[in-house]
Amino acid sequence: MRKLFVGLGLLLVSTFSQAVALDWQAVEGKAKGQTVYFYAWGGSPEINNYLRWADKRLNSEYGVRLKHVKVGDIAEAITRLAAEKTAKKNTNGSVDMVWVNGENFKSMKRYDLITDSFATQLPNWQYVDKTLPVDNDFSEPTLGLEAPWGVGQLVFIYDTETLSNPPASFNDLLAYAVKNPNKLSYPKPPSFHGTSFLKAALLELASDNAPLYKSVDTQTFATISAPLWDYLDKFHAVAWRQGKQFPASAAETIQLLDDGELDIAISFNPNEATTSQQSGKLSETTVAYAMQAGALSNIHFLSIPWNASAKEGALVAINFLLSPEAQSRKGDLAIWGDPTVLTSSHITGSAKNTKLFKSIPEPHPSWQTALEAEWQKRYGH
Amino acid sequence: MNAIFTTLKKRSVAAFTFNLIVLLTVLISFLPLLPGLVGLLLAAFGYIPAIDQYALSLGGFTQLLAWPGLSQSVVLTLFVSVASTLLSALCCFAILQSCWHSRWWKQIETLLAPIMALPHVAFAVGFAFLFTPSGFIARLLGEQINWQLIHDQYGLGLIAALTLKEIPFLLFMSIPLLKQLNINTTLITAQSLGYNNAQAWQKIILPQWLPKIRFSLFAVMAYSISVVDVALIIGPTQPPTLAVLVWQWLNDADLATLPKASAGALLLLLLCLVVLLGIRLTEWIITVKCRTWQSSGRFSLPIGGKSIITITYLITLTTLPILLLWSVAQRWRFPDITPSTWSLRFWQQEWYYLLDIITNSITIALVSATIALFFAIVIHEHSIKASLNKGKFKVPRLLISIPMLAPQLSLLFGMQVATLYIAHQYYYFWVTWAHTFFVFPYVFLALDGPWRSYDQRLDKVGASLGMSPFKVWWQIKRPLLLPAIWIAWAVGISVSLAQYLPTLMLGAGRISTLTTEAVALSSGQDRRISAIYALLQSITPFIFYIIAIVASRKTGSLEQQRANANSASLTSINRVRTHNASISK
Repeated sequence: MRKLFVGLGLLLVSTFSQAVALDWQAVEGKAKGQTVYFYAWGGSPEINNYLRWADKRLNSEYGVRLKHVKVGDIAEAITRLAAEKTAKKNTNGSVDMVWVNGENFKSMKRYDLITDSFATQLPNWQYVDKTLPVDNDFSEPTLGLEAPWGVGQLVFIYDTETLSNPPASFNDLLAYAVKNPNKLSYPKPPSFHGTSFLKAALLELASDNAPLYKSVDTQTFATISAPLWDYLDKFHAVAWRQGKQFPASAAETIQLLDDGELDIAISFNPNEATTSQQSGKLSETTVAYAMQAGALSNIHFLSIPWNASAKEGALVAINFLLSPEAQSRKGDLAIWGDPTVLTSSHITGSAKNTKLFKSIPEPHPSWQTALEAEWQKRYGH
Repeated sequence: MNAIFTTLKKRSVAAFTFNLIVLLTVLISFLPLLPGLVGLLLAAFGYIPAIDQYALSLGGFTQLLAWPGLSQSVVLTLFVSVASTLLSALCCFAILQSCWHSRWWKQIETLLAPIMALPHVAFAVGFAFLFTPSGFIARLLGEQINWQLIHDQYGLGLIAALTLKEIPFLLFMSIPLLKQLNINTTLITAQSLGYNNAQAWQKIILPQWLPKIRFSLFAVMAYSISVVDVALIIGPTQPPTLAVLVWQWLNDADLATLPKASAGALLLLLLCLVVLLGIRLTEWIITVKCRTWQSSGRFSLPIGGKSIITITYLITLTTLPILLLWSVAQRWRFPDITPSTWSLRFWQQEWYYLLDIITNSITIALVSATIALFFAIVIHEHSIKASLNKGKFKVPRLLISIPMLAPQLSLLFGMQVATLYIAHQYYYFWVTWAHTFFVFPYVFLALDGPWRSYDQRLDKVGASLGMSPFKVWWQIKRPLLLPAIWIAWAVGISVSLAQYLPTLMLGAGRISTLTTEAVALSSGQDRRISAIYALLQSITPFIFYIIAIVASRKTGSLEQQRANANSASLTSINRVRTHNASISK
């Protein structure tokens, strides 16, 4: 079955690549002087700074300006694209490049908001670590419509001074919460990290994981997810603010950990503890870890909308962001610490030291929507 | 004969030009309403080409009603807006009652500007730093505080923050109104009848103040019902207020939620209308329908205005040093009262990029506030003419206030789609246009009091001396009203600087201002960098208020100028006139 999918995927990729064979020199030529409006989450000074550096390098090397449009949530850009689709604005769009994955990508794909397949034709594609699942995004085939940028793993962060033996499973987590009420929580779904927490918990609690990797139907959902709701009912009763309020984001859990309100914070960056210590957000005694079963893992991507006005500039920018230089800097623990998508032999500096945790693949995206809706129904008000 | 003819011709050309400007003003200022409302209605009833929906349906409303937390969210929204508006009106009146023309009044008035200049978002960030369970107050007390004010279930923190932020606005708007009311004579008369100060204020001045402050109250109410940025920072999250919900749906990755979002935006608009009618009804009941309380004897509620104003100033002004502290903190862990490691690196890191953002913010604010100011003056002049000449079309006040009263979110959705039909990427143009549109009613309101208290007979005197209407305006009216114009300009600038949604939606996110950066950064919860932007956001409008205040002092206060120009006789005529007006009411 899997082989069939891969085969189909390859077939599609090849048709896509036939559609536009990139003449890289022409691309670089056209890109010169273009300004690329890159819509990406703007909440982290470390990431913003990294993108400023990328802008400088791109400008001096290729004459391309990279303007980071800071959004609170990337879905804002997707809605923007939808509005442009409404107005039949098929050229000269406002968005040139987006940082996406998961359901945002699915939405872009479904409503035809992406340009032709390009990722595998980028010169720096050769460095990409093909053993990583770079060809699917939450089990949605990417078909080269987006290029991988970094690796995310759902990890937990704690302070060794207050917590000596962190819970190694979700059942342990509940036991810990019962003993220490008001000290644990998770970001509110449908925020990215909140839903990821639900998925990770479900993967551990479900009696059978196989259905989670297939499209969901009402009957399976009810039986498979029952233990999760049972778990959450118990967990919320002893959680931070009795489960009546939740942190808005993973970033807030980190702040709350530092404030001593929470004992465990959540992040999708396995290097988060280290980078947060370097920037002064967390104490030196904090450590990131994954549950014994492994860490929910995914890849985040870069894509180009169908109506981008600086398409060539965006291609050059994405290619640059995939270069060993840019990826090594991105992985630098003092800069961003985001794990690379390149084969480690091409990476230099402290990014080389990143050790990934044992990984658990993301469930089918239909589960995400179903879990969010059910959570909303049960606890969202 | 010829000379008369040319003067007549000149006059009619001038009149024509003026009428043309009025028409242009109406077009530019109110045109966005059309695509705004039409776009919203179409989308709410299911016409959304983006997701291939061309048939009208009620699907959006069905989805909306099926949302599990809808009723809680609506109740919460109503509670927050009604409570914060009533509280701020009550507090404002209490302050006026106990401080008006007391020895504190001068200080209160001078401090109003900086407090008002503080943008809502910056204040919300500072407020959150103060009141989280591990915030500054908790640090002072040495342990985490138990009560929740930030993201609390009932929106109490949001109510508190909005109330504190609106009190200065209402006070500011009350000053010109009270100046028209001739308070001192009223108080003396009331005292001679045996009423004390508080009783006189509550029984005589309140019923006069209420109808005059109506539009400002509308503005406060509408703002509180539709605010997104502040509610995101300190409001409840479970469920959030309706405006936040709609904003989240609008930005949902799944485009199938668009009909629901549009239906929600329409519901928001309806809610807004309902509460505005509610205010009007309450006002009518208090001042017209049930008036027995006014003559029911010497009774008054004990309200302590001095402590309210002290608390307002204290909390509002404390946020600033805390923002400053966070902006230079490298490491500031709970429960330390001050940061343990200091660093200027965030300032250094941002400095280079800030210049661009500040220039952006200020340029848009200056341009839109100046245009809005010009338009507001034109419309005021036109209204005066129209009220003298029955046949003339008068621009209705309600129309003027729509941009201020309708939830921004509801209008912007349609506006955004409309701008997309125009081929090129005039983002700056659209953003400036939207800012002008939303700034206009505030500037208009700020000029309203001064324009009304201007003595029309001065114009007649000028005209009788053979001056042209424009010359009368420029040489007599303008200098007299200049201080008010300066302040209105500053109000306009500060409103523009605080605009979040219009900048984001019409600028396609490409135009970054201090406000959009501040909100985007707040999603990352890095207090140190949020603090920098919140601080800068507070300083910028403050500078313009200072400029306006200095400029208006230089041109002299209204009373002084009038006294200098027309000596005592005119002032006494004026007093009789306003007195009569207040009696006839």
